[in-house]
Amino acid sequence: MDHAAAQLEKQHVHDVYESTAPYFSDLQSKAWPRVRQFLQEQKPGSLIADIGCGTGKYLRVNSQVYTMGCDYCAPLVEIARSRGCEVMVCDNLNLPFRDQRFDAIISIGVIHHFSTKQRRIRAIKEMARILVPGGQLMIYVWAMEQKNRHFEKQDVLVPWNKALCPQPLSEAGQPGRGRGPPQHPPCSACRCSDCFEGRRGSKRSHSVDCDTVLAGACCASTAEEGEGENGFYSTLGKSFRSWFSSRSLDESTLRKQVEKVRPLKNTGSWANGTISIQPSRHSSFDLGHPETSSTGEQNADEEVFVEPSQGPLEWLRAPTTRKQLNGDHPGVMRRNGGGNFLGGTNAKENCVDEDNVEEGTAPGSKLWRRVSAADSTDSNPGDAIPVEEQQPDALDSRAFMRYYHVFREGELCGLLKESVSELHILSSGNDHGNWCVIAEKRESCD
Amino acid sequence: MRPLTHNLLSSHVRGATEVRINPVEFNPDFIARMIPKVEWVLLLEAADTLHLVEVPKEPIQGYEHNEEFLRKMHHVLLEVEVLEGTLQCPESGRLFPISRGIPSMLLSDEETET
Repeated sequence: MDHAAAQLEKQHVHDVYESTAPYFSDLQSKAWPRVRQFLQEQKPGSLIADIGCGTGKYLRVNSQVYTMGCDYCAPLVEIARSRGCEVMVCDNLNLPFRDQRFDAIISIGVIHHFSTKQRRIRAIKEMARILVPGGQLMIYVWAMEQKNRHFEKQDVLVPWNKALCPQPLSEAGQPGRGRGPPQHPPCSACRCSDCFEGRRGSKRSHSVDCDTVLAGACCASTAEEGEGENGFYSTLGKSFRSWFSSRSLDESTLRKQVEKVRPLKNTGSWANGTISIQPSRHSSFDLGHPETSSTGEQNADEEVFVEPSQGPLEWLRAPTTRKQLNGDHPGVMRRNGGGNFLGGTNAKENCVDEDNVEEGTAPGSKLWRRVSAADSTDSNPGDAIPVEEQQPDALDSRAFMRYYHVFREGELCGLLKESVSELHILSSGNDHGNWCVIAEKRESCD
Repeated sequence: MRPLTHNLLSSHVRGATEVRINPVEFNPDFIARMIPKVEWVLLLEAADTLHLVEVPKEPIQGYEHNEEFLRKMHHVLLEVEVLEGTLQCPESGRLFPISRGIPSMLLSDEETET
């Protein structure tokens, strides 16, 4: 199960960040003031770790302390390094530090990328391990409860639309992967097997410059690889394939997809949206695989299953924005009222699968009320995707789906209290749509 | 990767093929505060591997106010940078690369599934 979780994270966290790293820049990622304050309050001469540092926006906040940045994503780490920061590539679950080294640690927008409760706990415990007794850990995770948005489920995939991003960095700090010109963003999948093979080989993402690319295609091949291992993961892949394999995501095609639940031919595009992932007890999206869920291990909180909700998935426009909840999201230009989404079409209050809405509601507004989007509270209520207006190749090769487990109120604290007894919670609250906790390592620990 | 970073790791520097010295602004207070956190054995080992000279063998009495001592420590902790090299886990012997100044400490899938 852990292997499947790792696979999911590889597909929908690591590979996405690797592929999208060139589009990051300082401007795009917001440094949360409260985090800055936490860092500035540390005593001079402190040793601080930013676990999941991304491009390193917090690493130079306080010049009186020594801050090390760590991230799983090598391209992001390279960007941080190019800014003169001390960084390394490592895994939150296996931190390469000795016990009790750091006076303070920050984990900003990281833990929510772990796909099982056990892994989230493990990540927190690793950070606690390397903290000195009396040292403090600050954790920020995306909140399920948002002011302007509603996540229907806690486990979601959030697309990122490169089309809304400023041009990628062209300077040093770019991993020289031979990515093409900006017009051809790296894609998370191209010819499935190529892409997948490329990825397996190394940590480096196999960024293939394609105009029309299917994130799902890669999932599909990954799924096949992982099929023997874990039913749910293969379900993940196959469901995606069915979503993303059609050539055009116009309404009728999508309807067919949903109703017939059959892989369609290749699609160049798919709409941006938040796909909820939920326990798949009865998949209406059964692609002919009876074991749509990993049965025995299923545990609502802990597993990630791909199962679109009973009805059709809700396609939402949920691009990430500059004002992301988590600073380490790629910054994407947020358009008011949906401006130039996906290369040119404007947003109408319309949604791709308007006719496929569970209750069969009329297009647009009704759907939006119950639709969730993965955006910060200070973003606009979602602009719908006028998919029928979009050209197939204008759509999405640019979207990369990132996995999040959004936290309910009290969940993070509960996790610490229940499973990480070496940490004592000092304060907790909500900051810009994130649940935050500051915890201290207890003095007397074994 | 700087020796101060190295001092925090569970792996040790095994070799370096490219080392660079970068001037870093001297902040005596900062260095004085780092001294108690330094694992001297590791530091000396790293210094040896990197062929650094003039590395104090231990904190001296009144180091907080001893500028010469602090400057030496500043140099060895912060101004030396391993750009290309290798780290080694003392327990498993596993090697980790340092490339373009960045250590990569990821384990493979098999290694993590213990």
